[in-house]
Amino acid sequence: MEAKYDFIKKYREQVLQCSRCGFCQAVCPVFGATLRPAYNARGKMLVLKEVMDGKIDLNDELIDTLFQCTTCANCFKNCPSGVNVPEIIKQVRKDMVHIGSCHPAFTGMNDVLKKYTNIYAEDEAEDFGRKKNQTAEYVFFIGCVGAYREEESTQATLELLDFTKIDYTLIDEVCCSGVLEDIGFTINAAHVQTNIDRILSTGAGTVITGCPYCYRTFINRPQYKPLLDKGIKILHISQFLKDFDFGVTTDKRVTYHDPCDLGRHCEIYDEPRQTITKIAPNFVEMPHSRVDALCCGAGGGVRGAFAKNSIAMARRRLVEAEEIGAEIVLTECNSCVHNLANAKLRKQPFQIYTTTQLIRKLMKEKGSLKN
Amino acid sequence: MDAKIKQALIDIVGEQNFTDNLIDLVSYSYDASEYKHRPICGVWPHTAEQISEILKLANREKTSVVPRGAGTGLTGMAVPTKGGIILDLNRMNKIQKISIEDRLVVVEPGVVYADLEKALAVYGFLFPPDPASGKVSTLGGNVATNAGGVKGAKYGTTRDYVLGLQVVLPDGRIMRTGSKTMKSVSGYDLTKLFVGSEGTLGVVSEITLKINPKTTASSTSLATFNHVEDAGHAVSQIMYSGILPSVLEILGREVIRAINQNTDLALPEVEVILLAETDGYTKTETDFQMQKVIDVFHKNNAIEVKQAQTAEEAADLWKARKSAYAVLARLKPTLVLEDVTVPMSKIADLLNGIKEISKKHNIMIATYGHAGDGNLHPQLMYDGYDPIQAKSQEAASADLFQLAIRLGGTLTGEHGIGLQKAAFMTLEHDPVAMDVMRSIKKLLDPHNILNPGKMALEE
Repeated sequence: MEAKYDFIKKYREQVLQCSRCGFCQAVCPVFGATLRPAYNARGKMLVLKEVMDGKIDLNDELIDTLFQCTTCANCFKNCPSGVNVPEIIKQVRKDMVHIGSCHPAFTGMNDVLKKYTNIYAEDEAEDFGRKKNQTAEYVFFIGCVGAYREEESTQATLELLDFTKIDYTLIDEVCCSGVLEDIGFTINAAHVQTNIDRILSTGAGTVITGCPYCYRTFINRPQYKPLLDKGIKILHISQFLKDFDFGVTTDKRVTYHDPCDLGRHCEIYDEPRQTITKIAPNFVEMPHSRVDALCCGAGGGVRGAFAKNSIAMARRRLVEAEEIGAEIVLTECNSCVHNLANAKLRKQPFQIYTTTQLIRKLMKEKGSLKN
Repeated sequence: MDAKIKQALIDIVGEQNFTDNLIDLVSYSYDASEYKHRPICGVWPHTAEQISEILKLANREKTSVVPRGAGTGLTGMAVPTKGGIILDLNRMNKIQKISIEDRLVVVEPGVVYADLEKALAVYGFLFPPDPASGKVSTLGGNVATNAGGVKGAKYGTTRDYVLGLQVVLPDGRIMRTGSKTMKSVSGYDLTKLFVGSEGTLGVVSEITLKINPKTTASSTSLATFNHVEDAGHAVSQIMYSGILPSVLEILGREVIRAINQNTDLALPEVEVILLAETDGYTKTETDFQMQKVIDVFHKNNAIEVKQAQTAEEAADLWKARKSAYAVLARLKPTLVLEDVTVPMSKIADLLNGIKEISKKHNIMIATYGHAGDGNLHPQLMYDGYDPIQAKSQEAASADLFQLAIRLGGTLTGEHGIGLQKAAFMTLEHDPVAMDVMRSIKKLLDPHNILNPGKMALEE
């Protein structure tokens, strides 16, 4: 008999491989924030098992758990049975959307990207006082969060790129749209083509992304393969900056939050630390770091759809920063910065920056970058 | 569900602590066993008083209540076979008191083992049982199941550390048992009656635990054997040596083969691997103990004995044991993890018997476990969707239980009876003992509302 849903065709064996040990509960950020086992990976796999067994059907009642996953992959990394929960969840969301069951925030994001070039439905793209679409060796690809919400961080990154004197250009970029694949829809082919065309027309050999998610999308999504086929190198800004010395240091106690998209998904753990330990000798890890890092709660569409729990997840992350007495929390993801900053309590005595923001601040204090 | 009961529950715990949403009902239908049954609702109480009101209501309405921690049990003890209310205790998760001078902690039942471990590490102390599920399992669950772990032989199980409890009885009365002293012979030991009672007698709402100072040094070694009997003799003779290893683990051939086929650990393809750890406060002391263990290994025809010289080398030796569950969990769609336990001198007989059972029922059984306390984990692997294989598993498990009892052992060293072994209770316990257990259940829970259907308490 033909399986009713694509997730069954693709992932039946994986779902059944879940031995229900419940170990995912220890690392699931949604469970951590809610203490509700229906939300952890086991809860999700059990629902899917019952769908496969014909006991229940996919329907609106399941939105609350199936769409409430940041796809942080901490469960997958800790699953004794090796169940790739984020991939299964992405497929199930597509099946849910197919039958018309979807969280309105997720439908909204897809609708926005049909009409607009960015997830925030903003018309005017900021140019940060720089020329766009020039012939250059490098393209700097900002990403939606950096372009429309965390402009300070983007400004800092651009000033550091200027300082390195590399030949780079911005482009009239549009949303990489990779996120649509995570929230039940398909990547926006028109946006992909626009980005590919505009990158290629600069003649650049390397694209530097400000956003770990855009980086992941460019290197992993088959739709962006034309870039790789043309021999274009994709780097996240943290990989690019590690080779530079900006000549500044701080005595402050600094810690680093691994973004899920950069860490667990792309295994980029060392490069950000190489840069940070150069500028911050007083660097200290949080209790959960690298592959074990806690999720900031923003990913997988959860920030938009489940704002309260998303902030609760970020709070749990910041408790760790507080525990180790951090004065500065750095990360390499604008989305993480955005969510962590929103969750920070006034009494918490640390600042939250991207690494480039801190470097720029130190350089300005030293006078090596002008104000 | 009954609208009146629903409203009464909401009145007790508040709307935000009640659920009859499908996703919760599905999630609460399962634990880590193969059993499943859907409850009618779930509640998240925050106080003993709320638990008391819930039980009073359930007792009045004759509705069953199943207390639940993290749901990591392997025998179906948290599965609501008769429907009813799931009492999810994981939001009662405060460590109320850490008293190093009194050598105890007071915790709520929903505190996760690992969170207590972290809180005690600051003082150089620990709560020793260390169950394999400790990252996620709750202390309430540990108490209800009398959880144990790899260091059971030297440090005992949860039971050995529970000094006192606050328990809500099925009729809603709240009772304190035990004391906050290191010893007490005052009255019946009600505390220990509730430890391992699998949520059938009362709901634990507060736990007073004895804690231990942490040892600071350890030595680790690994020995390989070509014959099960040699490894079995080695285990027995370690007991004669006067040394109590803090860990003495065993890996059988099927586990070794599975690890080699699925990882790059490249273990020697032998019949048995024994892994030992001795612990103490100085390296000299732990090495002295380990040398005696190693002498025993050599005397019993160990093919190869490796002693770790550094912490990294020790971690390498541990890799095989630590990867066992994960490797085996990926081999077949379904697994049942047994925990039959025999006197240590019977380990070789148990291993050989398991092999015969595996052949007889044509089912893969890979065995590892805690040789140091006679507690082995034969892991049965099959496809639960194939009715023939599922039958083989049941028959093989039944034979395993018979074997363990024949060897003077017990059905379960640490996972409990639950649903899975309920039918075998009479194999181990004589009619008088069964009658006493059932009488205790009837006395405390005359309407059989608390976790019904478990432990063969209903004949």
